[in-house]
Amino acid sequence: MPVLRECQTAVVSRNDRWVGVAETEPYEAGWASELIVFIRVLESEGSLTGAAAAVQISPDGIHWIDEGARLTLSDAIGQVAFVRLSHFGQYVRLRAELEYGSACKVIVTINAKA
Amino acid sequence: MSRDDDHHMDGYASATAREPLTARKRDSRETPASITATSPLTSAAHLAPELSRFDPMRRIISFDDFDRGFCGWTQLVGNYEHSLDSMLPAYAEHTQPQLSNVTHWDSGSHGSFDGSYALKIATRARVGSRNVAIKRLTFRKPCPVRLEFYFAFKPEASELMLSETDVKSIGFCYDLQQGSEGGNRVMPHFRFLNAEGGRHVQKWQYKDAYRSFSDIGTEGKTVSFDHLADQDWKDVPGGSQKLCYNEVPTKINWHYVRFDFDLTTMKPVLLQCNDRLFDVSGLSPIVIPAMKNLWCMMNILFFAEAATDKRTFLYVDSVCLSGDF
Repeated sequence: MPVLRECQTAVVSRNDRWVGVAETEPYEAGWASELIVFIRVLESEGSLTGAAAAVQISPDGIHWIDEGARLTLSDAIGQVAFVRLSHFGQYVRLRAELEYGSACKVIVTINAKA
Repeated sequence: MSRDDDHHMDGYASATAREPLTARKRDSRETPASITATSPLTSAAHLAPELSRFDPMRRIISFDDFDRGFCGWTQLVGNYEHSLDSMLPAYAEHTQPQLSNVTHWDSGSHGSFDGSYALKIATRARVGSRNVAIKRLTFRKPCPVRLEFYFAFKPEASELMLSETDVKSIGFCYDLQQGSEGGNRVMPHFRFLNAEGGRHVQKWQYKDAYRSFSDIGTEGKTVSFDHLADQDWKDVPGGSQKLCYNEVPTKINWHYVRFDFDLTTMKPVLLQCNDRLFDVSGLSPIVIPAMKNLWCMMNILFFAEAATDKRTFLYVDSVCLSGDF
């Protein structure tokens, strides 16, 4: 019997309201070799034009640095954006800085595969 | 004697006397079998070393070793209808449990009890924050059941301090409902209150009361209530216990818990944590009139609460649920 690859989907932010600087909770995925991070805007206030969420990685879940990938936040409610990741180490999160006067509610989903 | 006949025996006495898969349950004051002259070189326990640290009843319902993945543990999502905004705030903050190798900034990966990965339940970095992981089952036979697991807990090591009072509590509960009309929904809750208001409290508590339900949405089909709220907790008699919390916030030690519950009477029987046994047979669980949709439900929940603006991490590895049938 073949050993199946572990595959898990984690909802790491559900209906959280993002305003100013917003971060998802650290997610440990050291067991995985590839991730897809999805984001869907559920509601928005003001304009999200130019807004993005940066993927960050960390050696310890405490100290973070930009990985380089970014997810565009869209005013189009329900639209899904995603980014593929590999070689991300162990800890992953999203971090966004929203302009004054703008805010949104999001759902962030990480699909991880061993 | 058939399995069906046998379950009418005293489940707890019979389960341990039959030496199911593991070594015979011993009194904690007794000399460990492994160092007695009569100890066998091999036994059933040696053939299944991953189970030899448990004392399961006759049938193992589930054995969750997190080196094999999440084993059915997921986040407890609150009830909602039409909009996620209808979810009670206490549930809205819950997030996914994680597979963790318990990595720290100063010492790297700690590893789990017997492998690399443990189930991690992490709160947010906010005083009073809570997170809950759940495994959803139903039961096929009302009988004595035994939940055993190994756990460790720590606050996030974001300060160079011992931080022993930054974890408020860790705990577990069942969410059960009897399998026939007219029965009850029964929820035995236990938590280890580690710290409160900066005091290192260290005692076991239980709950026997609940607050009112809230209607969710407008269809009249969904309700919700926060049965884990920080209210109505009572001390387990004689329930103070000193656990091992080591000397810096990045060193963890694993602890054993066993909880015996009887699905025939819907009452708790015994709580054990490491070398301490607590008679919880006189402590009522939360009892609610049966709901229309939860027959034979058998959910197991682990939870963690933060005492300060620092994440609390509850690690579990592994979990053995067994029953006397």
